[in-house]
Amino acid sequence: MTVRTRLSGVAVHAVLLAWTALALFPLALILINSLKSRKGIFGDALALPNAETFTAKGYASVLTNSDFPLYFGNSLVVTGVALALILLFGAMAAHALSEYRFPGDALIGLYLIIGIMVPIRLGTVALLELIVDLGLANTLTALILVYTAQGLPIAIFIFTEFLRSVSREIKDSARIDGLSEYRIFLEVVLPLVRPVIATVAVFSMIPIWNDLWFPLILSPGEGTRTVTLGVQQFIGQYTVDWGAVLAALSVAILPVLVMYVIFSRQLIRGITAGAVKG
Amino acid sequence: MATLDLKGIGKSFGDTEVIRGIDLAVRDGELVVFVGPSGCGKSTMLRMIAGLETVSAGEIRIGERRVDHLPPTDRGIAMVFQSYALYPHKDVRGNLGFALKHAKVDPVEIERRVNAAAEILELGALMDRKPRELSGGQRQRVAIGRAIVREPEVFLFDEPLSNLDAALRVHMRVEILKLHQRLGNTMVYVTHDQVEAMTLADRIVVFRAGAVEQVGTPLELYREPANRFVAGFIGSPAMNFLDARVEGGRVRLGEAAVCDTRAPDGPVTLGLRPEHLRPDEAGPLVGRVSVFEHLGGESFVHLALEGGGTLVAKLDGERAFAPGETCRLSIAPDKCHVFDAEGRRIRPPAAAERAA
Repeated sequence: MTVRTRLSGVAVHAVLLAWTALALFPLALILINSLKSRKGIFGDALALPNAETFTAKGYASVLTNSDFPLYFGNSLVVTGVALALILLFGAMAAHALSEYRFPGDALIGLYLIIGIMVPIRLGTVALLELIVDLGLANTLTALILVYTAQGLPIAIFIFTEFLRSVSREIKDSARIDGLSEYRIFLEVVLPLVRPVIATVAVFSMIPIWNDLWFPLILSPGEGTRTVTLGVQQFIGQYTVDWGAVLAALSVAILPVLVMYVIFSRQLIRGITAGAVKG
Repeated sequence: MATLDLKGIGKSFGDTEVIRGIDLAVRDGELVVFVGPSGCGKSTMLRMIAGLETVSAGEIRIGERRVDHLPPTDRGIAMVFQSYALYPHKDVRGNLGFALKHAKVDPVEIERRVNAAAEILELGALMDRKPRELSGGQRQRVAIGRAIVREPEVFLFDEPLSNLDAALRVHMRVEILKLHQRLGNTMVYVTHDQVEAMTLADRIVVFRAGAVEQVGTPLELYREPANRFVAGFIGSPAMNFLDARVEGGRVRLGEAAVCDTRAPDGPVTLGLRPEHLRPDEAGPLVGRVSVFEHLGGESFVHLALEGGGTLVAKLDGERAFAPGETCRLSIAPDKCHVFDAEGRRIRPPAAAERAA
């Protein structure tokens, strides 16, 4: 390794480390302050908790004095089911668009993908009317349906690009081997695009998990609140229980983190697929 | 074991007709090669036999059974693809047995057939590897093995050797030939490489622009090409074509009479294979050497002819020519091919035909 390449390696890592620090800073701030007393938070927000300011009261009030476990469960159900539906229908639609020629295929493809450009929140009023007419207000089903619709366009877009790269001959070969079109999709195509599934899963999950808008509008009822909505109860009109808010947020990060750890290998392969000869 | 009959096969994509009126009877156990330039419809024809493309007109029979309405898996065929098309997430054993597992064949029988195929193709040591851990030649053998285990009546090969390097291609060509002798199945093989076609085929089918130009054994095609296209496609280096004219039943090149012909007086095209030209101080072809390629045992001389036009001659390796040197060549009269204005070959007079 020459001096020049070693220097550029150092420079690259310096930039990456700086970026990592920048990205992690808010998270660290939340974690640190979730373990401090109110006085500690406002005294010196950047200080680590010490003997005097340390308290787990925030976590205690989140986990015991509220319905936080219920909210957490709601979020998990909504995100999990919506994610499963997005992956299933997104991959199926993309397979159809990339594999078969049928009248209006280009138009349908465009229609499905146009959702990327038009934010679904523009249709909130219509969605609310629809949900109320369907009798789904204050249900998790309402959220699942809306999130599935919200996630599909980008999922279809990403899947279509990758499914096009699956060799036609492999699918033909499976046809000769006697697989039905469904089995070709499930047993041949899907295993080939596993990294892409992980990528779409992570990208689709985060906006759903973090969303406040639709829970607030469609399902604000006590039994159907999600984490992001549930946290609001600690933010009162006159007093804010910052310890509890930060503790709730810290706990809420966990599922995303777990998901990322599970998928990260596949995710990185998915993002770099094509860029690096694999 | 089966015959394969194509009757009046046509294929259109919308208004574009890519294949028209193909009739062909492949005999039981025959290895037929479809050859032609890219886009000539040979692969589409193969995919129609396989059932991967629908047939717009005509009928396909394998044995006595009409199959053109059946899905691929019920036609009694197996196909080997150019890109091998192995399932990347399955090991060699899984790839070989996949079709049988899906057809709900008894596991003992699957095991037997997979092992038999592995033995024929010497895959024994590779059974637990994934396709990405195999070399190109090994992948090709797995792809062929996958076809063998299905015990098809007809094997279809779609340019199976195009992705291999030159040395391996020659090797695998011999392997396929051996396999054909061993299994004795009917095989249809598509390639754009005329050398592959010549060496493998019992009979060659030359395609051009969606139609069959000629069907025949490799030697028939070489000796009696039906037209200028086939003549130019079969043989390497390609046949030379020179403008000539007919006067009183003799073909004249410039002033020299070259050979007898049945053609009426008028312009014709004279086809001369590079290997049928000999250096001869009294020969009728005179030209200046533009390029000289020496291959050791043989050499190619590229000439710019005095009367205009260029020519390649394949000579033995004895004599070297320098660029710019003048070279005279003679022509064996019984090796001349005469083509009319439409490119059709005009059969030589009876005496010359016997000699050819």
